[in-house]
Amino acid sequence: MPEPLPVFRRALSESWRSLLGWSVGIAAALLLYLPLFPSIGGNGQMQQMLETLPPELVKTLGYEQIGTGAGYAQGTFFGLIGFLLLTIAATAWGSAAIAGAEETGKLELALAHGAGRVQYALESALAILVRLVWLGGVGALLVIALDGPSKLGLDPGNVLAASAALVGLTMLSGAFALAVGALTGRRSFATAAGAGVAVLGYVTNAIANQVEDAQWLRSVSPYAWAYRENPIADGADWAGLGLLWGVSALLVAVAALALRRRDITG
Amino acid sequence: MTTPAIRTAELRKRFGSRTAVHDLELVVEPGTVFGLIGPNGAGKTTTLRMLLDIIRPTSGTARVLGVDPRAGGAALRRRIGFIPGELRLEGRVKGRALLRHYAGISGPVEPGTIDSLAERLGLDLSRPVRSLSKGNKQKLGLVQAFMHRPELLVLDEPTSGLDPLVQREFLTMVREARDNGQTVLLSSHVLSEIQQAADAVAVLSQGRVVAKGPVASLRLAGIRRIRAGLTRTTEQAVSVGLSRLGVDDLDVHTVGDVVRVTATIGGDIDGVVKELARHQIVDLAVEEPDLEESVLSLYGDSRENPTPRVTDAERADRA
Repeated sequence: MPEPLPVFRRALSESWRSLLGWSVGIAAALLLYLPLFPSIGGNGQMQQMLETLPPELVKTLGYEQIGTGAGYAQGTFFGLIGFLLLTIAATAWGSAAIAGAEETGKLELALAHGAGRVQYALESALAILVRLVWLGGVGALLVIALDGPSKLGLDPGNVLAASAALVGLTMLSGAFALAVGALTGRRSFATAAGAGVAVLGYVTNAIANQVEDAQWLRSVSPYAWAYRENPIADGADWAGLGLLWGVSALLVAVAALALRRRDITG
Repeated sequence: MTTPAIRTAELRKRFGSRTAVHDLELVVEPGTVFGLIGPNGAGKTTTLRMLLDIIRPTSGTARVLGVDPRAGGAALRRRIGFIPGELRLEGRVKGRALLRHYAGISGPVEPGTIDSLAERLGLDLSRPVRSLSKGNKQKLGLVQAFMHRPELLVLDEPTSGLDPLVQREFLTMVREARDNGQTVLLSSHVLSEIQQAADAVAVLSQGRVVAKGPVASLRLAGIRRIRAGLTRTTEQAVSVGLSRLGVDDLDVHTVGDVVRVTATIGGDIDGVVKELARHQIVDLAVEEPDLEESVLSLYGDSRENPTPRVTDAERADRA
């Protein structure tokens, strides 16, 4: 009888090298940034320097809290480099999974062999999720490991909460890329969608940070759903996590239904 | 009566305003090899992809192994082996791992089958698929289609890129599959391949079946193009001799001291070869014309089918 999760297993076995690469990238970013905190963030120099910058810029970057360990970890990793790296990875995986497979003929063969279409979409989504959770886990473990030496003073539970937000936020990009790929069969559209939702989320959040009248933008920004309650300092924001994971799940369902309906043209 | 392996009724597929397949009626009996031939763009690939539920018909019905392809879902497709018309294999994955992946989806593959198929075709399974030549990728395509001994094989241009020796091995595999009781639906734009392998054929042109029946009944072997170089003779002598035999498109001219002849032969080739043999032959080539030409010349003017003039008009419409 057919073996379980063939699509999922193929996705992982074909991307372990890239997963390793992303893990190294995350580790490098964390090892570069976090140990600098005692010298530039913690001793007030950074705060002084930031006071010389235009406040709009500081708010856009989310650096108001950069003088605290939590603010520093958020401003450098969870809100910036980690967000960037995981978004790129999630979008690449999400657009490759269906649209990319269709354009390369891989999807046609897998379906002809008897992979169900819904099955294909769900297993692809699972493969994206597992890889993002891995990257989020690598990030969280390293932050916790570097917490002491870097004198950040973080609560490990909050680090996990921030990682869950990061993974949920980037999964949303991946799921959006997957869904647009399933709807259109075009990898370029899927990539634009995944990256676009991340950029828009970031930009709307940045505008909301600066403009009092634009606070409402936070309610449509996935970036704000992830970080507006500051999970790295205050712990898990279950409402925000629920939104991120709920919308992601919805997008995966859209991907599965879209793929089921459509001609595979490749 | 047994259920046909494939039966389509008024099967039609439109892509936007273009109709790729018109009201297709096909019946493929189980345990036979059925050839689908036609020039490129005739609708062969579209038809086969509809049978696999990769694309869905605009209207009409199809039954594959007695089941609607869409309703049959994954369980039906596990009973089918398929080579897409444009086989693309990429990536670092090695041949063997890729086959194991597809075996994992399709169901059990008897131990040793993959290796014996690979050996027959001369395929190295330890190389990454992206490093394989087109021919070797095609071999991998053959292995993935045959390995789980599916009840039905749907093969879209399966020999493209294969060298002649491997093509012959492939034809043997097709015959063995039929002897095992498997059904084979084979598409090609190469006439000889279908003639050697198939029990029955349908000729597709511009999305329509323009002829079908047992291979022998279709006069497909009838048309040949001949090219020869003759010496120690004259244009005059050659022309007179050949015109008497009723060849078409006769062209005779002299290049140096060689008389060059080209002609199309609609009937028996015996007389033509004997006529040529009366002269000194420098070179001789007898070849099949391309399929589009022979399909149109053989079936274009039959009454129940579109005439060549209609075909030309349709082309003009499109242009």
